[in-house]
Amino acid sequence: MSKPAAYLKPTWARRQLELAYPLLPAGARVALWFGGKRLAAMGEDGPDLSEDAAGVQTFPLTLEGKMRGMLLLRLPPEAASAAEGIWGDFLVHSLQGVIEAEHARHSVAQEALASYREMALLQRAVTELNHSLKPAAVAASLLKEFDGRKNATDFGAVFLRDADDASYTLIQSFGENAADAFPRLIESRLFAAMAEHPLGDILNNLAEAPLWKGEIQEFQSLLWLPLAVHGENLGLLVLASRRAEGFSAADMKRAQMLVSVAASALRNAQLYAAEQMIFPAFVKVIATAIDAKSPYTAGHCRRVPEIALMLAEKAHLADSASFAAFRLDDEERNVLEIAAMLHDCGKMVTPEWVVDKATKLDSLSNRLDLIALRFEVLRRDAWIDCLRDSADGLPAAEQIYQERLRELDEDFAFLAKCNLGNEFMSPEHVGRIQGIAARRWCNARGEELPLLSENEVYNLCIQRGTLNAEERKIIEEHAVITIRMLSQIPFPRSLRNVTEYAGGHHERMDGNGYPRGLKGEQLSIPARIMAIADIFEALTAHDRPYRKAGTLNWAVEVMYRMKKDGHIDGELFDLFLSEGVYLEYARKHLAASQIDQVDVARYLG
Amino acid sequence: MITQNAKIAIVDDEVHIRALLEQTLEDLEGEPEILTASNGAEGLALIESERPQLVFLDVMMPLMNGYDVCAAVRKNPELAATTIVMLTAKGQESDRVHGLEVGVNYFMTKPFDPDEILDLARKILQVP
Ligand SMILES: [Fe+2]
Ligand SMILES: [Fe+2]
Repeated sequence: MSKPAAYLKPTWARRQLELAYPLLPAGARVALWFGGKRLAAMGEDGPDLSEDAAGVQTFPLTLEGKMRGMLLLRLPPEAASAAEGIWGDFLVHSLQGVIEAEHARHSVAQEALASYREMALLQRAVTELNHSLKPAAVAASLLKEFDGRKNATDFGAVFLRDADDASYTLIQSFGENAADAFPRLIESRLFAAMAEHPLGDILNNLAEAPLWKGEIQEFQSLLWLPLAVHGENLGLLVLASRRAEGFSAADMKRAQMLVSVAASALRNAQLYAAEQMIFPAFVKVIATAIDAKSPYTAGHCRRVPEIALMLAEKAHLADSASFAAFRLDDEERNVLEIAAMLHDCGKMVTPEWVVDKATKLDSLSNRLDLIALRFEVLRRDAWIDCLRDSADGLPAAEQIYQERLRELDEDFAFLAKCNLGNEFMSPEHVGRIQGIAARRWCNARGEELPLLSENEVYNLCIQRGTLNAEERKIIEEHAVITIRMLSQIPFPRSLRNVTEYAGGHHERMDGNGYPRGLKGEQLSIPARIMAIADIFEALTAHDRPYRKAGTLNWAVEVMYRMKKDGHIDGELFDLFLSEGVYLEYARKHLAASQIDQVDVARYLG
Repeated sequence: MITQNAKIAIVDDEVHIRALLEQTLEDLEGEPEILTASNGAEGLALIESERPQLVFLDVMMPLMNGYDVCAAVRKNPELAATTIVMLTAKGQESDRVHGLEVGVNYFMTKPFDPDEILDLARKILQVP
């Protein structure tokens, strides 16, 4: 029951008294009491205006059959008449009517307020619960409703149920030593019974419960509710109290309401989490597939993200104006990692023999071996000539033979060296190759042929590296295909930059890169970071045939030239060196023999 | 002297909001006197005559809106001690800047949480 005072408003009562007062004879004194308070008075005041004073008339005011107040009236003796009794009855009757109407209104309002309270609670809980995308966050939001608010519970916990083996795991809890107490609750026999209870329940006076062995001394009563959606049991909410009569039906009602919302939020969070796991898993599978395609680039797609993230972290912290706008939050980190893992996904369709082409004459078979065979034929021809000349009695036969062998060996060694593609091919080099090619040899069918085919000459004369123009084009295709493949993925907003970051890793600051020939200012910072990460990984990767793993110093030297040439972003490269990214990565992934001293200062600026 | 109880005014054109707020505030210690008005003009007159310490003020009301009531109260130096809590509907949160400009002390979003209303009223009136 509410306080009686609320049923008679002083302002209104005072006004009512003021209006009625002039009807009384002069000198009349009136006081109105209700709920133990004097609400209003008219006429001269004094201690003799009380219930038991002589000459005072009392008119009672009641509430639910009990006297809760009164109207007191005292007239000067000479003015007394029967009319005052009528006046008092009339006034009290009207006051009584208001009190009763107010009382009725209050009980309705009480009920309405209870519903309103529920609605407000739900509205807040729904907003908060549905805002959480992680199961643990949903559990935390749910528990917050029982912890720290009015009528807080001593302990609370949310357990998740494993759909496969029906086991329960604690994911969130509050209360003194809760993280220690609730795991022990799972072990109890009572918990097994609670978990099987489909609707949840209250267990007050826990000490008397047959299944309870006092496993947790602080728990004197329990309230539990399954977190269920469409009959699927996702977990359990458990509240515990130190008091033996810890929970009421009202607590249960409130908990049920919150749990109904929490359960669907939890389900959404679990679905979301499952979905969130699928995409990165696919990305990883693709990266692994690309890495597996060529033994020479193994691990490339796994290591480039590492370097890229390390460098991005430094750019995020750098206070240089160039990186002021660059922020690396969790979302951006995720985008960069995915982009880095997928940057070479176009290589899926690049033929292996081009990806793996380690020397100029590499093809489906190594053509240098064929050339070696032809040289062997020439060596034997020379031997035969020598035998023939000796038989003819030519004195210098042996000497000529030795001369020719030496010449052949030198030429072959020269070709083998050119084949590696480590050196720039000068016009003299090209001239010598053409000279060698012009030699003749005889094949098995007796046909006389040039020592090197036109195509072999073409490949051996590749000026830089091992790829000829056509093959270079095929390799460059991978960047186009990467962009084309990624453009077909309907990335969510948060991942919409993946394609730009991944597709720009072969662009150059001066606009001479591929596939789009974008210039530095058209490239995002993450795209420029990707380029550096890609090159550094490739230069230091150890598993290349015909080439020893590059040392740190050599890789930095090469990249320094790239910076000077307008290939890579100089500021990012400086950061890469000055912040020690190269070394941090090297210590983690490179062989000790590759890690030599780098004079960073020499390459800065 | 009659009563020294605190006074709280509720100014809202919706009768059920007045009733619910009134019901909520009854749980306060010290039995504050609760006054109500159903439009802005009436509300301002009530505040001027009764000098409540605390006013719950709706925004959208006939005759005079909550902002104007608040601004008028702030212009009157005799009402300087009035704490004004504005009740905004969901979605009106962006108007809070305007509310602050005209001198609103606190905001509550409807549907209000009765417990929050009580906590705030206790803080303002300094009752347990
Ligand atoms: Fe690439
Ligand atoms: Fe790459």
